[in-house]
Amino acid sequence: MIVAGIDMGVQNIKVVILRDREVIARSIIPSGFEPRRAAKQAFEEALKEAKLSLKEIRHVTATGTGVEIAPYADSTISMIAADAKAGVFMYPSARTIIDVGAEESRVVVCDEKGTVLEFAINERCAAGSGAFLEAMARALEVKLEEMGALSLEAKGTVSINATCVIFGETDVVSLIHKREPKHEIARAIYDALADRITSIAHRVSIRPDVILVGGVAKDLGFTAALKRKLETEIFVPENPEYAGALGAALHALNKAGGK
Amino acid sequence: MEKKYGVEVSQKEAEEIKSTIRTAYTRLIAEYIDRMKKGWTNRPKVMDYFYEIADFKTREKELVEAKKEGKKVIGYTCISAPIELILAADAIPVRVSSGWYDPAKIGNRVVPVEVCPVVRSTIGVALFGLSPFLELSDALITPLTCDSMTKLSEIIGDYKPVWAICPPRFKSMNQSQTFWKEQLIKLKEEIESFTGVKITANRLKSAIKLTHRATRAFRRLQNLRKGRPVIMGRDAMLVNQTAMWDDLERWSMKAEELCAELERRAKENVWACSPNAPRVMITGTPIIWPDNWKLPNIIEEAKPQGVIVADELCSGDRFLYDPVGVDEGTMDDLLEAIAERYLLPSTCPCFTSEKGNEDRVNWLVNRVKEWNVGGVIYYVYRGCMLYAMEYMRIKKVLDQLNVPVYYLDTDYTREDVGQIKTRVEAFLEMLEARVEI
Repeated sequence: MIVAGIDMGVQNIKVVILRDREVIARSIIPSGFEPRRAAKQAFEEALKEAKLSLKEIRHVTATGTGVEIAPYADSTISMIAADAKAGVFMYPSARTIIDVGAEESRVVVCDEKGTVLEFAINERCAAGSGAFLEAMARALEVKLEEMGALSLEAKGTVSINATCVIFGETDVVSLIHKREPKHEIARAIYDALADRITSIAHRVSIRPDVILVGGVAKDLGFTAALKRKLETEIFVPENPEYAGALGAALHALNKAGGK
Repeated sequence: MEKKYGVEVSQKEAEEIKSTIRTAYTRLIAEYIDRMKKGWTNRPKVMDYFYEIADFKTREKELVEAKKEGKKVIGYTCISAPIELILAADAIPVRVSSGWYDPAKIGNRVVPVEVCPVVRSTIGVALFGLSPFLELSDALITPLTCDSMTKLSEIIGDYKPVWAICPPRFKSMNQSQTFWKEQLIKLKEEIESFTGVKITANRLKSAIKLTHRATRAFRRLQNLRKGRPVIMGRDAMLVNQTAMWDDLERWSMKAEELCAELERRAKENVWACSPNAPRVMITGTPIIWPDNWKLPNIIEEAKPQGVIVADELCSGDRFLYDPVGVDEGTMDDLLEAIAERYLLPSTCPCFTSEKGNEDRVNWLVNRVKEWNVGGVIYYVYRGCMLYAMEYMRIKKVLDQLNVPVYYLDTDYTREDVGQIKTRVEAFLEMLEARVEI
């Protein structure tokens, strides 16, 4: 049975196509100003990769911030439930899934079947999300892709304010003026974000294994910082940015009757 | 009178703001009532009465008439104010803390944005005369419970005569009781000289009898929510809240009528929504009609649909739940009983003791068990430090009961409706899945 999941993210739209419980195609397209069009394009690309046509897809489940404008959707699922389903699928011993996306961060605790037991989300503030890293990389004048590796050279000699993107940026600028080394500032930025995520995580009862998904999971600087702050081992599954779309696809599989 | 805090506003701006906001709110109230009606299609006819009272206009007219006949209207900002003393002076009690969103922004002219939005909004409505009940109030009782309420008392004193009363933060010490009772005695004297009515023991007994009747109806309604849903939660919340500005005798009569009908329905298995809907309790900062009906609307319009079966809100289940301990005896006995009633049962986080705020814990544990609660939403808007700070304490207790709790952080704004909807739906989904296991 062939089904699909689509994650209508703020920054990127992700599509995953499953044949039974096997991923046969993935695609990712920037959401841009016309997310619905981008979503259709993401579908086309995934279908092309799977060598399928739209009518061969039995069921489509949508999730993500823009879920209401998702094309082709037969059903929807919350991002929290999608994280839990995908987390346990990608990493069967996962019981805590930390998802750090562009605009939102979530910590989801689930059982072995991927049923949500508890969750917490960053509240009304971009400082606990990927958007924070983007803004900070801009202030530091480094490419976001390079900031992680840069931060790993640091010892942790400086720190910045983590409560607000705007204040964080002010701090970064003043550290630059003090001629602090770039790699130290980079590490302080990751530490600040990891602090925020840790405080969200402590609102629930986290239990091992802890896995990290979402776009930011690919950033080495962040995973290192989060391990330091949470004082626990953190596993990053392959293709972590597709967790939402994968969880949605798994839900579609249930809906279509193919367990 | 020179204002201590209040910003002066021009007549022109005041007129403009008053007309735009009042028009917008007339529409909003109509929309929310309409949504509640659509959400409970087989509702009893008597609900129309409560919807009418929820529209404020009927009651506003009545208050204007009553004032023409020489009656005084006495507002209060917090439910620690003993309404029996108001009723005994033949005056009319109304709660005046504001549930409107937009005036909170106006309140920012006087206090910083970090302050509790109820207080900012109440300042905003005072500044521009936006709230009919606050405008009609001849004086206000302002309990100094939390920090925000304490300063609100000073600020609102720029607009109305205020009588501040200060509950002690420890409830159980002997001195606490005396300290509190002394203040109520002083308040009684203030009310007497203001209204020109001597509050005799007999008058006070009649007032207590009246609130006893209201409490009986109030409890009967909450007890009906223990079983399968015979009333939607937001409708029950609205009925509870209308008691804060309605004529209490008439309210009791209508509430009794409603309860009788709901009891009949419970026997005949007529439900207000699916009996399997996840059962939610709300605890935390007060949810005040009409603008801040955001969360009740989201929960009961969600997919999957939830039903609010109980709350621990000073704007809700707590208001009339506890009766004054006596309705006989001397003036001193009566005042003692009133002082106890307005101090001991309060679960407000402004109180503390050696064991922490155990009255709140006990209330929640009891509700969870007896009302068969599936999950708790811990509702806090920005600026309410005390509720925010007590979260971990409450979470620990609920964890032990194996009841999921979700911490929902918001503000007086409509902008986060989408976000909150996503979160609440995920929480309800989770509650549903737990039941299936």
